[in-house]
Parts: sequence; structure tokens; C-alpha cells
Amino acid sequence: MAMKTYEYPKGREWFARATKVIPSGIYGHLGPAEGNFIPVTSFPLMGDHAQGSYFWDVDGNRFIDYMCAYGPNVLGYNDPDVDAAAKEQMKKGNLFTSPSYKMVELAELMVDTVASADWAFFAKNGNDVTTGAIMVARAATHRKKIVFVNGFYHGVSPWTQKIDYPGVLPEDVANNLYIDWNDFDQLQRVFDDNKGEIAAFISTPYLHGNYFDNQLPADGYWQKVRELCTANGTVLIVDDVRAGFRLDLAGSDHFYGFEADLICFCKAIANGYNVSCLCGKDFLKSSCSALSYTGSYWYSAVPFAAGIACINKMKALDTPKMFREKAIKLTDGLKAAAANNGFNLVVSGEPALFYLRLADDDSLFIHQDWIQECVRRGVFFAGHHNHFMNASLTDEDIAFTLEVADDAFKAIRPKYK
Amino acid sequence: MTDSKTLAYINMYAIFGTLENLCEIDENARALLKNKKPISIGFEVKDGPAATLYFKNGYCRLEDGCAPGCTIKIPFSSCEKFNGMIDGTVTPIPTKGLVHIGFLLKSFMPLTDLLTKFLRPDPEDLKDEKFFEESTVLMFYLITVALSQIGNHDAIGSFSADHIVDGDILMSIEGGPKATIRVKNHHMVTIKKDMGNPRSLMEFKGIKLARDLFDGKVNAVASIGEGTILMGGNISMIDNVNRILDRVALYLA
Repeated sequence: MAMKTYEYPKGREWFARATKVIPSGIYGHLGPAEGNFIPVTSFPLMGDHAQGSYFWDVDGNRFIDYMCAYGPNVLGYNDPDVDAAAKEQMKKGNLFTSPSYKMVELAELMVDTVASADWAFFAKNGNDVTTGAIMVARAATHRKKIVFVNGFYHGVSPWTQKIDYPGVLPEDVANNLYIDWNDFDQLQRVFDDNKGEIAAFISTPYLHGNYFDNQLPADGYWQKVRELCTANGTVLIVDDVRAGFRLDLAGSDHFYGFEADLICFCKAIANGYNVSCLCGKDFLKSSCSALSYTGSYWYSAVPFAAGIACINKMKALDTPKMFREKAIKLTDGLKAAAANNGFNLVVSGEPALFYLRLADDDSLFIHQDWIQECVRRGVFFAGHHNHFMNASLTDEDIAFTLEVADDAFKAIRPKYK
Repeated sequence: MTDSKTLAYINMYAIFGTLENLCEIDENARALLKNKKPISIGFEVKDGPAATLYFKNGYCRLEDGCAPGCTIKIPFSSCEKFNGMIDGTVTPIPTKGLVHIGFLLKSFMPLTDLLTKFLRPDPEDLKDEKFFEESTVLMFYLITVALSQIGNHDAIGSFSADHIVDGDILMSIEGGPKATIRVKNHHMVTIKKDMGNPRSLMEFKGIKLARDLFDGKVNAVASIGEGTILMGGNISMIDNVNRILDRVALYLA
């Protein structure tokens, strides 16, 4: 028997209220436009509460959440150990004039945990630390130019955006150079053409952009990049905001066998408590010290305490290994469900951040149709973004997900004969 | 942050091109051309666009290139001069077909004045339902054609076009006009109908919403959330088209 599908009347009411007082109702990545809610009527718009691997919307619909708030949910929503540490710190105080010693404890833990780190600098969001990394690189090298990989996302500051984005000036991106992923020869040419001018090469550890199959590094790619950057006095920045700690607790550069000069973390540090971290090599420490770069909430102690508890628990559970195993079980099951219904599901990227695409048409209409049928049955997949594993996901959750996937495939099959 | 060459292409293909649609939907436009011999006007802009307008039986058609056999030929020494004709600061001088000056003065100019009335409408006129609908339909064609010209010629628009994969993007107003933006090797061409089998689509729910979008009264991102703009298929195509759409208003202001 076909599964019951969700409806969202209260969510729509809340969204209508939101549009009156908030630009676009819900802006950014959690919003229906950027989140690719296709059609918008199939997706929950407002949440009510969350626990473990689930969230419930204002209509009382439960979803297994494979987006994990776009990454921060790494141990499970409301993880008791992280929340206990946060509550304990809250009793002592969160933000006061003298920074809490918890900042030092977390910095020590980051340096002990991240293989390439000699120091740690804290902020709030991923964008804060990618921007900080660029400033450190420019301060250290006294150079302007930055090399990016096409398909990148490094935040929302003007330098991270593109010349055709609203509110961005040509001057904001005038020193940005672009190459294709895994194309070392192209990178070499860009370095040759801009000798002595490139402050940094910034990249995610693998290409986990949106709207295309994610791509892993070619054999030896990162090692050659490392050598090139060193030879040219260019700072190698790894943006590990998205993948950080999900592949390797020592950092994704460690996972791929090289060392970054600067590495940016955020999402998986503190299981939803807001803290980000820039880690770096010793030779860049004084340049970071020289920056005029701070924020009102960057010294909040509660997220520091939560981060310590979260990182220690991830170590105890060996979450990267767990994520890989669970994700492979899940995605193998999804591929089988697709094949059983006559569809071809392509899974790409690292398993812990798996990316899905139905390859049965190049327009993605079929893919979007399947995604929305899954969502309406209680499995929150994203249309065109990588997903995230979390430690609270159970075998029962995976089994239910596969049932939903199968039912969703059966629902769309008659339309695409 | 606009350039005169891109504006010339918009003026040639989007503004003059919309005369085709004006003649289709407005009887007053057809009346201006009624009982006239078939006639053609070729426009040739140095270092810019060239096209020919054909008038026959009350209808109009724009074709690429200044046809050697055109009845009237009007050359321009620069894009700026051509744009000056459109905004009324430059008087065009035909080099061929001077005997048909009467058509230019009594038919063509009133026709372009009529188009201006629809494209830069008086708020009072928009209170008339029929006028409102016709004006919005013409705006739709103007914008969808301008979009391709900006993607092909404007420096920032070209950056967006460089990120669009090959395929057709269907843009439409529910129950109203449709246009296909065909992209091949990052070159964009607007075809003013549904060509079928699009790789992505964007549909505005109703003429009123389309108007509000064109007038900048509502935002596309908010409308997607409200379900008044439907999108589907390869969303990165739509994403980049929307970035070019942002620049349309800049050129048409």
C-alpha cells in the first residue's frame, strides 16, 4: 500500500507571516528558493522541534533529516553530552568581558586533533574563517590574487561571490582567478602567468558543489598542489567548513595525505552551537595575530564548551568510520531501490556527504520529482546539494529511508514510462 | 555599469523585435500598416547589430542582418548614434528609399510611439484591463529577448552566460506568452514560443505577478517561496538567467 503523504497548511501560514516581516520569508540556504524546494508545496517551511536524526515541522510531520541543518548536526539533535556541557557552561556564564578559559581548552583540543594545526582562531560562521584565512594569506604574502576552483562556495562575503551576483562590485572580485577542479596543469599555468602575485589557493578538499556530481581528487593531485604552493610562496587554504571532521577528525587534508597552511572548520565542531575555527601553521601565526578581526559574539563560552564535548565524543565514537559505513549501506540501498524501479541513481562524493542525482534525464525533472516524493513521505533529501550523515542515524532509520525511496520511485514511475 | 553596444543589440532585437508582437495583439498597430504596400527597413550599425524590419498586411517581422533588398536603409556610424535614434536624440538619415519617407513618418514612427505607450505606460492606462494585459505581454517579450542580448554582449551578463549549460530554458506566464531561451556554447537566442522539451523552466503564475516582477514590486526569490513562480529542471540555468534578468532592468530603465 502506498505511503501517506504530508501536507503543510500551518507551514504555509507561518511562511505567509514571515514574508511580511522578513525579506523573501526565509532567506538563504534554508529558504525554498536557494533550497530548491521543487515544487514548494511538497516541502516543510517551518520547523517546530528536533531530536536525534529527526525534525518535526509546525504541522507535526516528522522527517529523517539528511541535511542535518546543512551540516551542524553531527552527533544527533540535542545530543545529551554536548547539551550537558553547554548547560554547565551556561550556568557559569556565556559571554563576558574576560574570555572564558574554555576558549583555550578548545584551542588546545583543536591543535591536538587537527594534524596540520599549530594554532586555532575562533569566530562564528564558516564565512568568518574563510575570510580570515584570505586576510592572513594577504597579510603574510603582501599579495592580492587568490585562486579559486570553479564551482566553489566559500561563504557570502563579496570576495567569495561572483561578479554577476547582486550587490557585488567588479572590484570585489577583481583579484580572483579561476581554475577547474583536478586540473593541475591549468593551476600551474595560472601560477606561471601570475608569478609572485598569488597570495593563496583556496579549495574544498574535494569538489562538493551544487548542481553537479561531486568529484574526488585525482591521485596525487593534492600533493602536486602542495608542492606548487610551497615553491611559489603561496598559502594553501583548505575550506573544510562542510567536510571537516566528517571524513577525518585530523582534518580533510590529513585524509587526502597532505598538509594545508590554513584550514577552516565550522559545521561539525559543536553539534549546532555556533562556533567556527581557523587553524594554521606556525609561520602564519604572527600574520593572524596582526589582523584587526573580531566580533561581538566570537568569545561566547557556551559554544566552546559544546565544541570540546562534541569533538571528544566524535573521537570516542570514531564518527568518520561510522559515517562511511552507514552512508555506504544507505546509498547502496538507494541505488538498488532505483534500479528495482527502472531508474539510475548516481551517488557521488565522499559517502559521509553523499550527493544524489537521478541520471534518467539531463534536465533533472525526474530527480526533482523523486526528491519531493521522498520529502512528502518523511525523508528530507535535498535536490541539488550534498547530504550529511550524523551519528544518531540508526539501521531502522536507514531501513525506513529505503522503504520511502522505493515508494517514491513507484509513485513517479507511471509518469516516466 | 552598462555599455552602448549591448544597449544597441537590445534596442535592435528586443525593442524593434517587440513590434512583431505589438502588431499581433493590437488592432491600432495593425491599422497603422493597413492598405500599405509591403515595405522593409534595414538598419545597419557600425560595430553593432544589423537587422531588417518587414511590414506586410498589417504585420511586422524582424530578421537578422540588413537585407540588401530592403526598401529603406538606415545606417548608423556607431552604437551610440543608433541608441540616440531610439531615445529620440538622433534623427535617422536613410541612405536608400528616401521616397518612402512618408512611411517612416506616418506609419513607422507612430508605430514605435504606440510601442512606447505600452512599454512605458501611463499608470492611468494600466487601469484598463486589456491595456494592462497587452502591455505586460509586450514587456514579457521585450525582457526575454533583451535577456539573450545581455547574455551575449554585456561583460557581466556574459559571465553569467558562461555558466549556463546547453539546452532550452522555457519562460512563461501561466495562460499567456511563452519564450524559449536556447543556449548553445554559452550563446543565447530567444525564440518567442515554447519549443518543447526544455531543460529547465520558470513560470510566472498570472499576468499580475509578471507585471509586479517586471516593475520591481515583488522579488523572484520571495515569489518562488510563495509558489507564484514555478521553477524546475536544471536550476543552475535558471539561477544564471535570473542574474542576467537583474541586468535587464538596468538597460531598460
